[in-house]
Amino acid sequence: MNWGFVIANAITLACIYGTLAIGLSITWSSLGLINMAYGFIFALSGYGAWLAAQHVSANGFIVMAAGILTGAAGGLLVCALAFIPIHDKPNFTVRGMIATLAVSLVGNQALLWYFGPRAKSLPQLFGASQTSIFGVVMTADKIGAVVSSVVLLSAVLLWMRSSRRGLEIRAMMMNPHAASIVGIGVRRTGFYVMALTGGLAGLASVLLSQTYYVGPFSGITPMVKGLSVALCGGLGSVFGAVIAAALLGINEAMTSVVFGGQYVLITQFALIILILLIRPRGIAGILDKAREA
Amino acid sequence: MTATWKNPISAFDPEKPVEEVVTNDYLSPQSQWDAVRAYNVPTYEVGRLRYYHKWGGHGARLWSRLRYWPTRRRVLDISGEYNAKTLRRQKTIEDKRPIWWVLALLALAIVPFFIPENQQNALLTAGAVFGIYAAINLCWMLIIGTAGIYSLATYAVVGAAAYGTAYLSIHLGLPWWAMPLIGSIIGLVFGVIIAIPATRLEGFYYALLTLGLVELCRVYVLQSREFGSATGGLFGADSYIPQAWPQHDQLMLGYYAGLALMILALFLFRFVNGKRLGRVLRMAPEKREAFAEATGVNYRAARIQVFLISSLALGFIGGFYSTHFRGAAPNLFSFDTMLLSLSMLVIGGLGRSEGAVLGTLIVVFIDRVLVDWGPMRFVLIGTLMLLVVLFLRGGLFGIKEQFRAWRDKKKSENRSSRAEKGGEMLPEEATETPNKDIIYFRRFDKMQRDFLKKLITPELIEEHRKRPLGQHSEALERVLTYFRRQPLNDKYAITVIEPFKSYRIVALSGSRGVAPRLVEDKTYGTPDEAYHALFMRRVQDLLES
Amino acid sequence: MEKKEVLNVKGLSAGYGPMRVIHDLDLIVYSGERVGLVGLNGHGKSTLFLGIAGLTGWQRGSIKLNGVEVGRTRSQGPGRYTHQVVHHGLALIPQGDEIFTGLTVEEHLDSGAFTPRAWRERAERKERVLRIFPPLKKLMKTAVGRLSGGERRMVSIGRGLMAEASLFLVDEPSLGLAPKIGKGVLDALMSVELGQSAMIIAEQNVALLEGRVDRVIGMHVGKLKGEASASLTFQTRVMT
Repeated sequence: MNWGFVIANAITLACIYGTLAIGLSITWSSLGLINMAYGFIFALSGYGAWLAAQHVSANGFIVMAAGILTGAAGGLLVCALAFIPIHDKPNFTVRGMIATLAVSLVGNQALLWYFGPRAKSLPQLFGASQTSIFGVVMTADKIGAVVSSVVLLSAVLLWMRSSRRGLEIRAMMMNPHAASIVGIGVRRTGFYVMALTGGLAGLASVLLSQTYYVGPFSGITPMVKGLSVALCGGLGSVFGAVIAAALLGINEAMTSVVFGGQYVLITQFALIILILLIRPRGIAGILDKAREA
Repeated sequence: MTATWKNPISAFDPEKPVEEVVTNDYLSPQSQWDAVRAYNVPTYEVGRLRYYHKWGGHGARLWSRLRYWPTRRRVLDISGEYNAKTLRRQKTIEDKRPIWWVLALLALAIVPFFIPENQQNALLTAGAVFGIYAAINLCWMLIIGTAGIYSLATYAVVGAAAYGTAYLSIHLGLPWWAMPLIGSIIGLVFGVIIAIPATRLEGFYYALLTLGLVELCRVYVLQSREFGSATGGLFGADSYIPQAWPQHDQLMLGYYAGLALMILALFLFRFVNGKRLGRVLRMAPEKREAFAEATGVNYRAARIQVFLISSLALGFIGGFYSTHFRGAAPNLFSFDTMLLSLSMLVIGGLGRSEGAVLGTLIVVFIDRVLVDWGPMRFVLIGTLMLLVVLFLRGGLFGIKEQFRAWRDKKKSENRSSRAEKGGEMLPEEATETPNKDIIYFRRFDKMQRDFLKKLITPELIEEHRKRPLGQHSEALERVLTYFRRQPLNDKYAITVIEPFKSYRIVALSGSRGVAPRLVEDKTYGTPDEAYHALFMRRVQDLLES
Repeated sequence: MEKKEVLNVKGLSAGYGPMRVIHDLDLIVYSGERVGLVGLNGHGKSTLFLGIAGLTGWQRGSIKLNGVEVGRTRSQGPGRYTHQVVHHGLALIPQGDEIFTGLTVEEHLDSGAFTPRAWRERAERKERVLRIFPPLKKLMKTAVGRLSGGERRMVSIGRGLMAEASLFLVDEPSLGLAPKIGKGVLDALMSVELGQSAMIIAEQNVALLEGRVDRVIGMHVGKLKGEASASLTFQTRVMT
């Protein structure tokens, strides 16, 4: 068993799932919405990238941009359908979750109906070259995945930390009522957030399609994994999600080396349940009170 | 505004032509009275009062002899009362839901005999599926609605029991009647395992965790060889439906067995939700747990109890599932099954048994009967679910309540926002006023001002500008009389600075010994100008009040 | 300096559900004016402010802010249009602490300056706020959640003053503070140079306001009393 190969694999997966988890986490903490339609956005942006590769150009940059843009459009769609009409109605959290589930049901079936059940594969974005780092052979797509997700994630986080819109989003995370008093439009910020997180889903989709395929239901497993990472890190905490992604990536690598691949999910959930039993709000989860105030 | 007013005094001076002034049409003061007294609250034709059928009979609290046998509970909640209007005694059924339930179940029981021959297969199969899913949903509703635990792992329990019993039946020859029993034991064990995190985790963390558990089960079943990863499920379990029977009879048996299962689940729902456990949990709704705990309600224990009871029932249903379908398939664990089931709950309305049954009926009908539609039927279900979530607070069965709440809100808003400018006393003020005459005077005064406002027209002002003193038209006379009648404090008056040369407008203080105060800097050359300016000032105040 | 109407409220009724709190109220505030609003608990001071910001349950009537109509007849969605009102030049400093617990004081002050021009000038504006509230200078990098009540109040008011607003609504600045600190906060409010903008301060303690505001308006069961009605305001202005 090649340790280096497994660890490299785990890091790649951790980056991708971390991207998904951070998207989910930001949505929850700023809008109070659990976006169960994330799998749908994921699949949709895969198809967007595939269409771009078919009809525009197979250039890696264009395909990735197409994926991210479709993801952002999908996020806007979900926002318009499941956030805008009910965000100030009673019982929003439960209704919002059910509404996104409904969007995901409709969307996935529409994808199935339009594109058919056959899986599509994306072109190689980063070429097929290989390099060796510390004696570990890394294929170009893995390096590309790690680099692009890290770059985009840090760009997003930097933007959230320093710009005005980022301040808006963070202010809305802490106290939505006060946010409206200082002149932040909840609905408009909702659109920004959903477009942003949709774009992150698009990125993850394009990156993951390097190893898997694009299909109408291909988004559900990544969404569940992203959710479990976000959960483990604590809903609403970006930093916690990063740690959780790293932790689960390491766990995945260790498990597949020690026990074998089919036990990965079992140890994964055992780990998550353990973490949640010790810290019921995840590794660095914010307190729910921050939203109630 | 074409009416003219002839000065009656002109008759004294017949040499001159009759003096005529253009003035307003006659407006009766009665019109204002009528407008104020009119009933102008918007009313709705629908459902202004709850309708109860009344029939004559006993007057006091009804002494009904029809009771559920070992208990003292009456079959229908019938109350008797004395109607003071009709001077008769009458009886009313307070709660008609038992009647609807009996009618609906009777309809379900006889419906197989009215299905046309060519659709019998599809509809009876769908009916059996309906029974099973309705039972599952009722148990799930206990967990989500009554216990308030957002568990999505229902199908993990059902599937585990189904797989376990199917495995035991295939390999150890377990007979069909033992399968639900063994299934309920498996369900209980699984329920205990799943309930452990529920003691610590909160709502959504738990929901997402259980979602992951279902996914875990699915992946495990798909990969494990003992549970038929190669054949796409475990098949060949013992079944309660004899293979030797003709197909029609088999289907009928399956249908009625499903229906019986649903009725069992309904009784379970009734006995958990409607009795002690349900009461305890209703005292501890979301976000008010701390209060409930402080009053001595052990809601945690109650929640776990409900969870375990329904896990037991779900295991029973799982065992029934595997005897019914002679096995189990991995799509029990799939995300879509969970989603469809959730849509059944949501469409019917969370927290009520009739909602679970109706939602199941609708969704199973779309899913199993309209098979020709392909993926479009899921789109239809999803759209239905989305619409229900966006617009309805409590599903289809909550429409009535929501409509009533909306109507009451609109009514009270209309009532409370009818703005009466400078008008009557508010209730808070009225109770504080020592002299109650003031209340009526203010009401009258407001009506009068509203009426006078209608009289102020350019013609009227022009008439006053021409001749501030002397005879006036009827409308102007009314206005002036009102102005002259006002109390003295802050009443405008004219002060003479220099006779025939300069006049100014002042406001009287209203109290003896306090000098009037000047109102504006302007001086007027003639008395008529000053009169008119004063008139204009009063008109402005009238219009602004 | 030309006096112009900053706020012109006409026939405003507002409330929550079946309850009407503001009864058909008229109010004009001119630029450069500091108005005190006094009244007992539950007589609608806060609701008037919330109504101007569009945060009550329902409302009807006209509200003109700098001549722009921002009032609307609505019966749902409190807070849905508040950000538009804020962009037209309203700064609401609400009762209690509506703060973002996780942000630092500096970020918090920045969050008050969301209109584009205020955002560009936020450095100078921060300077100005720090001149008014010197104690904040040391706390710039502290998270707001760790401050004491008085400091929070200062941050909250400072956030309001950061905005590029023509109307400042200050709701109970001395509430819940020790009398001395409350007086200090009020002193700070009085020292703000208003220029073309105006300020309304709601306060229960009339003694704190006495002689320091341009006029005092009383509020009684949802209506204005004292110098209230539009015509009377007009007269007093001409007289003085």
